[in-house]
Amino acid sequence: MDVQEAVAEGTASVENGEVKRDGRKQFSMGPGDILEGKLIYDGSIHADGKVEGEVRVSGNIDVASSASVRALLEGANVTLKGQVEGAVTARDKLTLGKNAKLSGDIVVRRLQIDDGATLNGHVRMGDFESHTSGQ
Amino acid sequence: MSPTRPVSNGANGQGNSVVLGPKDRLVGQLYIEGDLRVSGTVDGSLEATGDIEISGSGKVNGAVTAYKRLVVGSDASLIGGDVRVARLTVEDGATFSGKVSMGKPEPKVEEPKPVEPEQVIQPKAKRR
Repeated sequence: MDVQEAVAEGTASVENGEVKRDGRKQFSMGPGDILEGKLIYDGSIHADGKVEGEVRVSGNIDVASSASVRALLEGANVTLKGQVEGAVTARDKLTLGKNAKLSGDIVVRRLQIDDGATLNGHVRMGDFESHTSGQ
Repeated sequence: MSPTRPVSNGANGQGNSVVLGPKDRLVGQLYIEGDLRVSGTVDGSLEATGDIEISGSGKVNGAVTAYKRLVVGSDASLIGGDVRVARLTVEDGATFSGKVSMGKPEPKVEEPKPVEPEQVIQPKAKRR
């Protein structure tokens, strides 16, 4: 299957779907929303509620504090405030907020971990083969 | 054993802190009962019962175990080894890579497992 656009499968129920912010596309989820499957998106995502599967975006990923994520995440700047299980790739910077809980291996260019955050996994920093997003 | 000054400065090892300055260098292993601040270079493994702070342009290549908190400053680097800490702060700009384990501060000494009473099931009655 050739996935080109955002594919939200299964029980995906994203109320406010696509919002444009600063001329960039923003995929915004609420605390009751559920995304299962694989999402490849040319823009940024605000993840809340429940996310399962794989999320690759050209912009930023921002995981809310009430979110529960079991997914592979890839974005430019990735900011985690909630619970994430899965590998994370930040082409620029990964930020773990004070309530973030991440278990998974991470590949980042820059890393900031705030006191209070929990991390379990391998950290690799610097050069990484950048997957062109949308692939 | 010569009675050289022990690393801990208090009889109970409380409130102890060790500083490795920018020009200091350590190759090997270091265990500290207390806090440790590194702004020099360490090739080896560090373990502290308190906090460990890698600050300034401090560089640590090796495993780090902090029973309390580990802080990696914005110009500091920690590369390579296993990192076992209770709390972790990595400032933006820091170089940081390795395997991180958090959550359960595990004491180094393993508790001996309770020995299970040996219950060898013996064939009692021989078949006739």
